[in-house]
Amino acid sequence: MNLPTETLPTDAPWIVVKFGGTSVSTRPRWDNIATIVGAHRAKGKRVLIVVSALSGITDQLKAIGEAHADASRCRELYLGIVERHHALYRDMQLPSRNALDGWLARLDQLLGDARRPAGELSWQAELLAHGELLSSTLGALYLNARGLTTHWLDSREFFLARPQPNQGAWGRWLSASVEVAPDPAVAAALAARGDVFIAQGFIARHDDGATAILGRGGSDTSASYFGALLKAEAVEIWTDVPGMFSANPRQVPDARLLSRLDYAEAQEIATTGAKVLHPRCIHPVREVRVPLVIKDTNRPELPGTAIGPNVTHAATSIKAISSRKGITLVSMESIGMWQQVGFLADVFDAFKRHGLSVDLIGSAETNVTVSLDPSDNLLTSDVLSRLCADLEPFCRVKVIAPCAAVTVVGRGMRSMLHKLSAVLAEFGALDVHLISQSSNNLNLTFVVDEALADALIPRLHALLIRAEAMRVDDAAVFGPSWRELAHGAGDDARATWWRTRRDDLLAIAAEATPRYVYDLGHVRAQARGLAAIGAVDRWHYALKANPHADILRALHAEGFAFECVSWDEVEHVRRTLPDLPCERILFTPNFAPREEYRAALAAGVRVTLDALHPIAEWGADFAGHDILLRVDLGAGRGHHDKVKTGGAQSKFGVSLDEIEAFRAHARTHGARITGLHAHLGSGILDAQHWRSVYVQMASLAEQFNRVEVLDLGGGLGVPSRPEDAPLDLDALAAALAEVKQAYPQFRLWMEPGRYLVAEAGVLLARVTQLKRKGDVRYVGLDAGMNSLIRPALYEAWHDIVNLTRLDDAPGEVVQVVGPICESGDTLGNHRRLAACVEGDVVLVAEAGAYGAVMASRYNLREPAAEIVLP
Amino acid sequence: MTLADPRAARTFRFVRHDYVDGEASLVYAFDDGPDLVERIAFPGAPQPSPERREAFARALALLHFIAGVSYYKAGVPGEIVVDGEAPSPSTAALLDALYLHGLGEFAWQNRLDLRERIRFPSSPANGDARAAALALPRRTLVPIGGGKDSLVSVELLRRAGEPATAAWIGNSPLIEACATRTGFATLNLGRQVSPVLFDYNRAGAWNGHVPVTAINSAILVVAAILYGYDAIAFSNERSASSATLEVDGRAVNHQWSKGWDFERTFGALVESRIAADLRYYSLLRPLSELAVAERFARTSAYDDVFSSCNRNFRILGPKPADRWCGQCPKCHFVFLALAPFMPKPRLLGIFGRNLLDDMAQAGGFDALIEYRDHKPFECVGEARESRAAFAFLARRAEWREDALVARFAAEIRPQLPASDLVIEPLLAASGDHRIPGVLVPFVEQG
Repeated sequence: MNLPTETLPTDAPWIVVKFGGTSVSTRPRWDNIATIVGAHRAKGKRVLIVVSALSGITDQLKAIGEAHADASRCRELYLGIVERHHALYRDMQLPSRNALDGWLARLDQLLGDARRPAGELSWQAELLAHGELLSSTLGALYLNARGLTTHWLDSREFFLARPQPNQGAWGRWLSASVEVAPDPAVAAALAARGDVFIAQGFIARHDDGATAILGRGGSDTSASYFGALLKAEAVEIWTDVPGMFSANPRQVPDARLLSRLDYAEAQEIATTGAKVLHPRCIHPVREVRVPLVIKDTNRPELPGTAIGPNVTHAATSIKAISSRKGITLVSMESIGMWQQVGFLADVFDAFKRHGLSVDLIGSAETNVTVSLDPSDNLLTSDVLSRLCADLEPFCRVKVIAPCAAVTVVGRGMRSMLHKLSAVLAEFGALDVHLISQSSNNLNLTFVVDEALADALIPRLHALLIRAEAMRVDDAAVFGPSWRELAHGAGDDARATWWRTRRDDLLAIAAEATPRYVYDLGHVRAQARGLAAIGAVDRWHYALKANPHADILRALHAEGFAFECVSWDEVEHVRRTLPDLPCERILFTPNFAPREEYRAALAAGVRVTLDALHPIAEWGADFAGHDILLRVDLGAGRGHHDKVKTGGAQSKFGVSLDEIEAFRAHARTHGARITGLHAHLGSGILDAQHWRSVYVQMASLAEQFNRVEVLDLGGGLGVPSRPEDAPLDLDALAAALAEVKQAYPQFRLWMEPGRYLVAEAGVLLARVTQLKRKGDVRYVGLDAGMNSLIRPALYEAWHDIVNLTRLDDAPGEVVQVVGPICESGDTLGNHRRLAACVEGDVVLVAEAGAYGAVMASRYNLREPAAEIVLP
Repeated sequence: MTLADPRAARTFRFVRHDYVDGEASLVYAFDDGPDLVERIAFPGAPQPSPERREAFARALALLHFIAGVSYYKAGVPGEIVVDGEAPSPSTAALLDALYLHGLGEFAWQNRLDLRERIRFPSSPANGDARAAALALPRRTLVPIGGGKDSLVSVELLRRAGEPATAAWIGNSPLIEACATRTGFATLNLGRQVSPVLFDYNRAGAWNGHVPVTAINSAILVVAAILYGYDAIAFSNERSASSATLEVDGRAVNHQWSKGWDFERTFGALVESRIAADLRYYSLLRPLSELAVAERFARTSAYDDVFSSCNRNFRILGPKPADRWCGQCPKCHFVFLALAPFMPKPRLLGIFGRNLLDDMAQAGGFDALIEYRDHKPFECVGEARESRAAFAFLARRAEWREDALVARFAAEIRPQLPASDLVIEPLLAASGDHRIPGVLVPFVEQG
């Protein structure tokens, strides 16, 4: 590597770069560090490198600390540490290891130290410091050997630990804090020595020179201290992830990279769940306004997350949603007098005595509820029990656990509350134990049962985007999604059939609009994708989604059976498919009149009952018949309140506690329950959902004697928004196969509707008028909610494009509206279409399901007619 | 396949059994109906050595007779026919008892009286000659069920320094995860029930609980001979011997084959008829459920893998709700039994929720303490154990405000005698057992 040999001017700006354990554990990773540092140096920056210990070494040193009484165990661990460093040294092919061996010798002396048998804290602190002393020493040797002149510094010379109020001896030695202010003299003295330096994270000194440890997140914090001390241009934290995200990417693959955050927001996100940065490291740089940047070692070209002073030009937005599990709530109800003096003081004194630190607080006249973060102490000791016993004399204590704290973070939270209605509605169905709105106006936290958190976070994230509370369209703040970073940018223009058949569609639209157009080829392709899932013994098409005769015929040819929800649907299927055996029609009505059941039984159609009423009141009708029982497993799921079909608020199904009564009626009347049916919602894109429904159904069915069939319903989701990932059919197949193997005695049925036809249909309309009111621009179409009611009814999102100008660049943001005299007649909010002019053909995608079939003649406007492409 | 209703069958036939290449086939039939073939896979097992061949043949025959109970119950015909060699008189006596008591709950649920129906033929000529010792190596098979009990046995054997293998039957990711976590060698045996049984179910078969511990015991005896183990250590505790309910003066016990009567008779039969040096016993026999729970709480190594729930156990998932349904008697009991012995956050973390703060579970817990209901048909502890656990929690500040604990204290405790409210006497070991002498101190001290 060719590096400039001249020394930089003394006032050259400083950059502090920090590398963690995995980044310093191998020679190639050190080459990477050299490249990054070299690039800064080449741009005229003075660089200070802060390093952690080699990965795993701090744990080994801690293990020595824990085994302090056992000299031979300490020795064994020590030898492992020596070998690890010698191995890296050999790999680096360095000329001399004197400096390294110096620290290893000091470590050896510590094993013989008089403080060792008792495991004194001062001894432990010095012991732990050796991880960083060793790694920085190896690093300095290697960088110099590569020709990058690097000066080794001992961080303890720069950082003096300051005792904190209420800090115990453990904290003073092993979780120390330092106060740092910019010191131009220090910066100048270093500048006089050279351009590149390396120092240790994690360590500081006491007044007497003894070593202190900074504790968790200590290396990041050291980098911040150096950044503040040197008044650096930036502190870069190099990690193995691209930066901070709008949610934990493991929970939410659609989480967006946060390109810019202000200090307070970053601190809030780090505190409430994100692991990438320790919240402690923000304070030192915040005070002196030094920017902190998180960078990905594996992909240095990515911008990462830049944390700095207020991002003034950005839109007010929720920045992230995070969750912390393992939260324990302690609710204390005063048993003394109303407004009892000193109640809170007594309560908090008890927590202090037991060394328990309180996080969230909710209070009322006679109650105070606090949260405790997870700690080993709570799980392995009886500290909570002792605390409760101490609290008992003056309040009634209730312990609520395990909980999760779900936190929405964004500056100016109180000014965004009106955008959170969908989020609040989501919580409405749950038991929320505590709500806390932080007094710094940066977060809103909901404490709920822990079991709910995993499913809740992705939904809330999507809802925040949909409600435009999280402004992911603001490119200054929101970067690409985790999924895009992991798999490369998504194929935004998904290869849809309507792009390839654009000319056909324009020709149809030239004749008349509005028009629904269906592509049977797409219906068949979807059907074949499902049919390949071996675990499912019979697929039904739920024809309420789209009963068009050509679609029924196409699916019949693909081997599908049919699910009907009204007697008219049954008759429609029989008329359309005269050769279909009635046994392949499943009749699953809801609150249908008695005649419909009688007609179905007489015709030999399979009947599902979803209430006690028919079997209790009309039981004799079902004598000698096989019936399916639709059960309500309790937890509804779906993309909108109105399409959730499980849970007490839903009118579908027999609740679990009524099943015995249902069976008793069936026995009395000689009706055989040969199948169980469940349907928990629509638009579900998570394959694990059906696995859990299937398991619940199978374990329920085992208690019946004659159940042969489990019908999991439908609800297979179709991605609509660009950020949705399609349902993973392989994952679905694997999940179903796993359960099938455990319960081979049951045949498995499913009944998708929307999945088969949604994408196969589009709505073509023509631009009628354009309008501008204030800042809002409207594009009017000749199709409205009389043709497609889903956006108004479900807030459904349909992709909308200007088909006439499909390849033009997107224009301004518009509201796409119809001609119906109804303020809800909007097909799409805040869309960017290619600039529209009167007469352009606009295509509304994914209109094949619940489109034409739900159309009306409202305003006496005829809805779009239907055309089928073969 | 359309089959005759097995309830109309006259005879249940033990047709034949054989063993080829590590797989045992056990064949049954109703009258002249199709063969019902159960297959047991012994992975990597050799053909039995000549000196063990006789013992192996007897073990396999015993397994054939015992595993027949799953099929017999589909029709409960009046006559039992053995096409091959009839069992010895002592074996036939054990089988009569097993089919009668092991199907007790099944009979009660289906309102059947089996007393006059079960008569195994026996062959006095097939005399009760004493079995020889086979010089089996000193090592123990510990069947793992995925619940807390067998894991307590594992830890006892580990502390005693006994070489042991964690064994389980059938495909269960949850049990596999537990077995792996023990760090012991593992042995997974396959069991495939005849699919014809599903067809019989559709044709009208009786359905219900079968004494699966007896079947597993017989499978492990075959495995012990094949692979060479001198002990099989089950993990059935004292309360497994107590009746679930009494009907017309007869005891009905959901877990009869986990009880002392079966252990004693079966263990004696194995030693006398199959191998004099093969010991079959339950390591937890002298312990109450609460004592087992207290021992389990001492290690947290299995917190995130074990489950005693009978609803979800066939499928493994990462979340507590994947392992604990939270609704069934097993969930109720294990939660209650562990509560006195672990920090509350740890227990709530294992279950993912607090069952004692959910009024909807009141009926389930009432059944455990035999308040307004009989004991549930599940492997759960005795009512006095549950009562003592409740009483213990009602004295604890961190528990007493939870809905069901508060209800117990206000409503139920005043009706109970003081002797029902103490936990300590229930933690001591007592009663009959077959535990090898060297292990007894480990069991008693915990």
